[in-house]
Amino acid sequence: MENFIYTILSKKRNKLIVIMLVLMAMAGSVMMIPSKLVLARMLPGKSANTFTIYVDTATNASIKETKKVTSCVVDYMTKEKEVTDMEVFLGQGAPLDYAGLVKGSALKALKNQAEIVINLTDKHQRDEPSFMMVHRIRPLINKACGALVPNTSIRFTEMPSGPPTLATIVIELYGKDAKVMRKTAEDIAAVLSETEGLVDIDIMQDDLYTKYDLVPDKEKIIRSGLSVDQVNQIIFLAFKGMPIAVKNTRDQQDQIPIFLRLDEQTRMIEFDNKAALLNKLSSLKLMNVKGMMVPLSEIIRVTAVESSPSIFRKNLKNMVTITAECDMVSQVYPLLEARDKMLKELWQKYDVAKIDGINTFMFDLDVVDHKSGAKMLLRWDGEMKVSLDTFRDLGGAFISALVLMFLLMVVYYKSFALSGIVLIGSFLSIIGVIAGHWVTDKIQLYATDTHFFLTATSLIGFISLMGISARSSLLLIDFAKSLIAEQGMEKKRAIAVATATRAKPIMLTAVAIILGSLLLATDPIFGGLGVALIFGSMAATLVSLFFIPVLMDNARAMMPDKYFLNKLEVKKGSWCVITDNISAILSPKFRDKK
Amino acid sequence: MEDYKIKNIAGHLAKSFLSNPLTPILAAAILMLGYISLEVMPREEDPQIEVSGGSVIVAIPGASPKEINNVVIKPLERRIREIKGVQHVYGTAMNNFGMVNVQYFIGENRESSNLKLYDKVMQNMDKLPKGTMPPLVKPFDIDIDIPILTVAFYKIDDSPNRPEETIKLYKMIRDIQQDINALDNVSKTTLKGIKRPQFNILVDLNKLSGYHISLGQIAQAVKSISSNAPQIDTQTATGQLVVFGVKNAIDDIDDLRELIVAQYMGSPIYLKNIATVDYSYDIQNYRNAYITYRPGHEKEAETEEKEEEQSTNEAALFRNAGHQITMTVSKLKGTNAVHIAEEAIEELQAVKEELRAHGVGFIVTRNYGERANEAVNELVHHLLITIFIIALILIPFLGWRESLVVTIAVPMILAATLFLAMMTDQTINRITLFAFLLSLGLIVDDAIIVIENIHRHLHLKESEGLEFDEIIIRATDEIGPSTNIATIAIMLTMIPMAFVGGMMGQFMKPIPLNVPVALAVSLFVAYVFAPYLARKFIKFKKHETHEEPEAKSPDIPEDMVLTLKKKEEDEQ
Repeated sequence: MENFIYTILSKKRNKLIVIMLVLMAMAGSVMMIPSKLVLARMLPGKSANTFTIYVDTATNASIKETKKVTSCVVDYMTKEKEVTDMEVFLGQGAPLDYAGLVKGSALKALKNQAEIVINLTDKHQRDEPSFMMVHRIRPLINKACGALVPNTSIRFTEMPSGPPTLATIVIELYGKDAKVMRKTAEDIAAVLSETEGLVDIDIMQDDLYTKYDLVPDKEKIIRSGLSVDQVNQIIFLAFKGMPIAVKNTRDQQDQIPIFLRLDEQTRMIEFDNKAALLNKLSSLKLMNVKGMMVPLSEIIRVTAVESSPSIFRKNLKNMVTITAECDMVSQVYPLLEARDKMLKELWQKYDVAKIDGINTFMFDLDVVDHKSGAKMLLRWDGEMKVSLDTFRDLGGAFISALVLMFLLMVVYYKSFALSGIVLIGSFLSIIGVIAGHWVTDKIQLYATDTHFFLTATSLIGFISLMGISARSSLLLIDFAKSLIAEQGMEKKRAIAVATATRAKPIMLTAVAIILGSLLLATDPIFGGLGVALIFGSMAATLVSLFFIPVLMDNARAMMPDKYFLNKLEVKKGSWCVITDNISAILSPKFRDKK
Repeated sequence: MEDYKIKNIAGHLAKSFLSNPLTPILAAAILMLGYISLEVMPREEDPQIEVSGGSVIVAIPGASPKEINNVVIKPLERRIREIKGVQHVYGTAMNNFGMVNVQYFIGENRESSNLKLYDKVMQNMDKLPKGTMPPLVKPFDIDIDIPILTVAFYKIDDSPNRPEETIKLYKMIRDIQQDINALDNVSKTTLKGIKRPQFNILVDLNKLSGYHISLGQIAQAVKSISSNAPQIDTQTATGQLVVFGVKNAIDDIDDLRELIVAQYMGSPIYLKNIATVDYSYDIQNYRNAYITYRPGHEKEAETEEKEEEQSTNEAALFRNAGHQITMTVSKLKGTNAVHIAEEAIEELQAVKEELRAHGVGFIVTRNYGERANEAVNELVHHLLITIFIIALILIPFLGWRESLVVTIAVPMILAATLFLAMMTDQTINRITLFAFLLSLGLIVDDAIIVIENIHRHLHLKESEGLEFDEIIIRATDEIGPSTNIATIAIMLTMIPMAFVGGMMGQFMKPIPLNVPVALAVSLFVAYVFAPYLARKFIKFKKHETHEEPEAKSPDIPEDMVLTLKKKEEDEQ
């Protein structure tokens, strides 16, 4: 070991070879990310014992129609072996979970909304992970039940492995003209549905349908001794019904309401048209002040109008949201593909332009409708935004970690060159991190046919690796320095000796980290962290054993300065490194006095 | 070298604890505290993310979405913008009502956020348009809103649903709910899919017009007899109290049926003549819940007797049990989901037979307590396996005695960190344990480096003639400065992670919180306990006469294999 290092150090050519090798490995591994050899994603899927199916039928669907769809889904799911029980919640959300909290499950109260909770057998005794199961049955269920009621959307919600978002891909379309936005949203949704890997595409807006306005005839109402208020109340009471009184009870926790309405048979209107409605209203009569009965149809007119859809706003601007889920793939690549498609394909109807600048909104598009000239902003939100934000923050954390470490090293060594060596050494572990992901991805593809992604946890692993590899470099430098200073060894020889001596503890700690992370690597979420630590510390060990000595040899600061030699003799046992450092920062004069 | 001066805090620590009788007691105390913390700390599957927000709901009956948007949503949104810490404002204008959802930045204090929202709405009550109902302010409460346990109650037999049974089921579940709500640390229980009892008067429109009665008359007639009056008291001539009161005229369903609504051609018309009147449930409520399950596959702890049944009808078909009521149980913040879920299930098991007698069965459809427990236990198991593996791998490199020192040091570090985590009100969850797994690779290092250096020094020529204690202190002291700096460097790399914002930052927070603490503790343990343990475990033979002449520089230890061989020879 010692001789090997010494051979490397003794010839310039050998040193150059080592440096070139490291640079090549570095460039090669960094290139793996843009070339998609290693795929990035915030957090991977996690196998759970439960998932939820959200069913939304058309805005004007009845509870019966919604039930038809949920029954179809439940019937379909009974064919699955691993399902233990299913709970359907009609017209309401299922008991809240973390995903539901963000997806607005608690606010569901309409007749066209339903949720189905599917519980599965324990994940340890089941071969198929829940996300694979969802992947498999999603198209089947959509095919079987999606067309029963028009405008039905059936979405699958899995337990998120990290923090939940509204959907994996969320497009927010801001604009002023509601009609143009509706049209644009449909065009965008069409682009999304053509994109490979995107499923469960849904536009979050009400469908348009025909409704009927009953216009009261003021003159007739006043002449027949009635009031508009009375008309309103009776119509409501007749068809919708309401509790008109309550009765307290002794043996129950609630009051008992007394509810009044027309019975099922007479409440029904035969067809969905104007004549049938008018016909029904003619048999409903009101009593005026004189005690005379006036048919309702006499005092109102019926007009068919288009329904007024709900208006959604975010941050004081009107908005339409389009959501999509990713089917077993990272959200980054379908998003970029869909965005390219939009830029290419929507030009016939819209002017689509990119927005300049690099920030976490950097994928946004400006959309201008040709016909009306309405300007709209297309904003990508959802997991992509959260990922970008997280990666940005983690990147910031990484840079501040670098700076902090550099400062600490400078305080310790009082040399920029040596501190730089430590930093470079720790930064180079990225070679191992990326290459490790590539290897694991290949292994996992072969074994279970799923991708292994570079995730946020991989980044955390990388950050903590920096500290670990800094420690190896530090031990090396320290030891070599003391060999030169205390035993007066020749520089190259000292470095070689130090490397050979410290190789054992450096390798030991690396082995400890690798073994410690083995079980971590099998976890779906922290797999990235585990892999980063395992392969990163391998790379870090190689770097500190072969590359760091080369750098050390080139650094002049390795040689002890005169002051340092003096200090060795003067030094009388200061307390600890902290006091050491404090005295180092203080002026030399002060120390000399000491 | 008799006048060896200790240069570093490492040496000082090692020296003062090396032969201190309190050292083993301290070690035992740390281990105990760690174990207690592991048992006592609240367990969760995922760490709690502090999400603050709420919704304001304003209703104007009869207003269209566009009206609502202009009159309610826009002004309200502007007012809410005035609140500091609001990240997003979502407005929804629907028919008849508008809703504004407020989302605060992640990590904003929940209580004060809720207060600010409520305050802002109350301040602007006077600016509400006419005809609006009082606004509702509903803050999100992640602890209370997300139940840790849900249980579905359903009918066991296949008989068609009768209204009386639905009401009976409702009453029973309400009583159970009351009992479970009484358990310690249960915060909120709700029932989903319930049908509340109700008197239904369903009028036949044809008969109505036949008798020439309007709906208004019926409503009037019912209202007029269903008033409640307070009791009245007065005095007798002798000063005694006499209490009397008017009884509610509706006592049961027959009172309603026999109600005279109007007179027609001289004869009274009873309510039963023109309408079906019954005691049933709220038919206007379209919210329903159904359940389909595989009999014999109930997830809850169905007792052993069931087990056999289960195996016999392996291919059991699904049974559509129809209507169900789901009871949800939430816990108070910072309490242990595992215990609460267990207690609630015990409570249910106690009434199980009674429920069965009434033809009601139940399935636990969600149990976060169990899940948290499983997740935590699995990871603790992983931790132990990993420590064991590391210990094994160290044996060929360091020798089994040295390896044992490291193996003892690691649990102590983890125990102390866990105890500190408990003191700072953290919960034990997956991320905390991942932080431990992550730090495992880092914290063994300090102990390894100390032990390795002691081991190395024992075979150095310089150490000849020195006392064992002296060697240990010197070895520890020697690597002090670089170990300190290296450990501080690692701590520094983890700390910026605490400032990562957003949900992800909150989610990962246990890592920057615990790893630096574990590292700091590992330094302490490496300087205090590793030398102590080394003194106890490692066999020492004074190098009085060193048999092998040292050819090279004394500082270079032999190749690892050589060292081992030599050590064996030494011991023989």
